[in-house]
Amino acid sequence: MNSTIRIQADDFDLAAEYELLRQLDSAVGAVVTFTGLVRDLEKNASINSLTLQHYPSMTESLLQEIVDQAQQLWHLIGVTVIHRVGELLPSDQIVFVGVASQHRADAFEAAQFVMDYLKTKATFWKKVDQNGEQHWVESKDSDQTAKERWHKDD
Amino acid sequence: MIKLLFFGRLGDFAEGVSGSIEAAEGLTPAVVREGLAADYPSLFAELSQPQVLISLNQMIVGWDQPIFDGAELAFLPPVTGG
Repeated sequence: MNSTIRIQADDFDLAAEYELLRQLDSAVGAVVTFTGLVRDLEKNASINSLTLQHYPSMTESLLQEIVDQAQQLWHLIGVTVIHRVGELLPSDQIVFVGVASQHRADAFEAAQFVMDYLKTKATFWKKVDQNGEQHWVESKDSDQTAKERWHKDD
Repeated sequence: MIKLLFFGRLGDFAEGVSGSIEAAEGLTPAVVREGLAADYPSLFAELSQPQVLISLNQMIVGWDQPIFDGAELAFLPPVTGG
């Protein structure tokens, strides 16, 4: 399986990433992509910007572990995970997960699995600026619940 | 020397904390945390939250894991990426 993991400040090109997955292998019959964006609201108040911090030497290996787990659970041909860091603005792209497989069920489920695990395991932290005041975003119980539905031991 | 890292909101509470400490016999993350209690009580309280994870050389470990010279110890609040 082909896996690509990138952590970068720069934006990414959805069409280009899709194209890379599509052309991996002629056996690819399904490509599912997910893109996460910066919402303009945090706790019902608008935000000016969002800053993403991460733990550089740890994040990539954690993402690779998540992708490796997905590969063991589904038949996958390619997985791409891109996560941006640094300062982002509302509507900016934050995260991309793309999965290529022979059949759609594998791609759909694996994409959701990778996102659910990324949200609860990968070492990223968000800080928002609301009218000049900065505070760290708190983790959500709903993300933990979303991860637990896969019934995987950590 | 042991390198210390505090991520997310823990970084705000750790302002002024030295980025490294001397290696010592019997050193564990719990001992490091205890050593911060007197000078940084609010950081100590944050580090004592059950959701805080610790990593040693980029691997998640327990509070009683022995720490050896040259290690990188990081304190990680609940993650919020994606």
